[in-house]
Amino acid sequence: MFGVLVYPLWNGLQTSTKLYRYGRAVSDIGLDNYRRLWSDPEFLNALWITLRFVTIAVAIETVLGFALALFCAKELSGIRLLRTVLIVPMVITPVVVAIVFRLMYANETGMLTALSLALGGGKVEILGDPLKAFIGLIVLDVWEWTPLVFLILLAGLQSLPQEPFEAAQVDGAGAWRTFIDLTLPMMRPILAVAIVLRTIDAFGTFDQVFVLTQGGPGTSTKLISLYGYEVAFKFQQTGYAAALFVTVGLLILALALAAVRLLRRVEAT
Amino acid sequence: MRVRLFRRLVTAVVLAVVLLPIYWMVATSLKTYREITQDATLYPHAPTFNSYVLLFKDKGFSSFLTNSIVVTAASVVIAVAFGSLGAYAIARFRLRFGLERKAGLALLTLRIVPAVVILVPVYLLILQLKLIDTWAGLILVYTAFNITFCVWMMESFFHEIPLDLEEAAMVDGDSRLTAFIRIALPLAAPGLAATAIFAVIATFNEFLFALALTATPRAMTMPRGTGTLIGRINTDWASMAAAGVVGALPIVVFALLVQRHLVRGLTMGAVK
Repeated sequence: MFGVLVYPLWNGLQTSTKLYRYGRAVSDIGLDNYRRLWSDPEFLNALWITLRFVTIAVAIETVLGFALALFCAKELSGIRLLRTVLIVPMVITPVVVAIVFRLMYANETGMLTALSLALGGGKVEILGDPLKAFIGLIVLDVWEWTPLVFLILLAGLQSLPQEPFEAAQVDGAGAWRTFIDLTLPMMRPILAVAIVLRTIDAFGTFDQVFVLTQGGPGTSTKLISLYGYEVAFKFQQTGYAAALFVTVGLLILALALAAVRLLRRVEAT
Repeated sequence: MRVRLFRRLVTAVVLAVVLLPIYWMVATSLKTYREITQDATLYPHAPTFNSYVLLFKDKGFSSFLTNSIVVTAASVVIAVAFGSLGAYAIARFRLRFGLERKAGLALLTLRIVPAVVILVPVYLLILQLKLIDTWAGLILVYTAFNITFCVWMMESFFHEIPLDLEEAAMVDGDSRLTAFIRIALPLAAPGLAATAIFAVIATFNEFLFALALTATPRAMTMPRGTGTLIGRINTDWASMAAAGVVGALPIVVFALLVQRHLVRGLTMGAVK
């Protein structure tokens, strides 16, 4: 069984050094695929879009999730209902999440248009405009994954020791000071876990763009995974696609390792 | 009093933001064509199940559902069985050169990199094995994913179980295997449940590999079938919505049923 995961990694490296024509390896070309990658404007563009998408989406999810978790940590009533409902976006099939949002954004029939008409406005067009489509994709991701960040951080908050907070209250510290001096430093490792987890996942986002926008309009939402998929299956450039994915994998790994190291250093000081 | 009101308000807003999009999908699936395209109504005035009937009659949704259930069940059962054995070995045995720790680290690395990275080689492998568009191909790939996940999750659960219990059992005449089955496994049961639940959800929802590895309704899973259908019917909004509802319903019901384990498992892994 390990063969199915480890062998492909090795095989992927091999494939990435070959030139494929019509689904067959025709020649060894060494590292040419990798060289080509860094002068491929579409690859660089997709990488840039992915980086923007990941940064913005994860930042919003972290802030929103943390705020909600802080909000819920004190009050326990009503939290159960909220938790039950918040599970739903995370477990719904990502493909269906994309359908949900297509139905909302659709300019003739979507919920946004219907609401806007009911309020006396005009039709709302989301997926036809590059910037709006990109924002729409981020909204989808935030809707789907803020609950995960929320649940992780809530569990973190509930596992914090009570004594420091009681001491702070006795000393007359305000809510803001308590948050900055106590909650934030103590939550740092858990925050980091949530952020790293989401960042890695967000880099691999595929299903949602595939169904929502197919990367369009133009290339405004063409994430790196979608571009790689197209190179592999639409354009049949197997070797080049393998090189692309190896590169992306290494980038993510480097990012994750850097995050872990940074975290350790913060812990130490 | 004001604080209380504010809390209620925030809760209501969150609930609305989460539920309204889903409501819209369900509502759209029950509307008539005319209602959707011309009237832009906010709720179905004359609800009809027509779209659902069409989905199962013409579009082969029942076979997608069967495929999904078979593939998910098979790969999760195999992965949990072998994965917990593997996890137990990593947690308990000390190998030469600290090999067991290296195996653990390798697994973690595999989990860090998104699956899309190995899409091309996995595709070539399944192509060579002539398993494209079969249950076996999907089960093989999903089992591999789930096994690494199971080993990784279960290892920490086994670590938490005190060694003394098993040692006592072994002194009393149990072998390593019976001690594992009688002592360690029941104690790790909550963790096992959480692990299996996660694996079920992830497998049932998987789309990318199903997209690359299947081509006909013979092996297409639910997300795969829904995805293609959406590609073909660009403006048949009611069908699209109905497909979404049918596609999501099994897993949402499942998740809500096992909610307690789900939340516990989710937070256990991260907070530790």
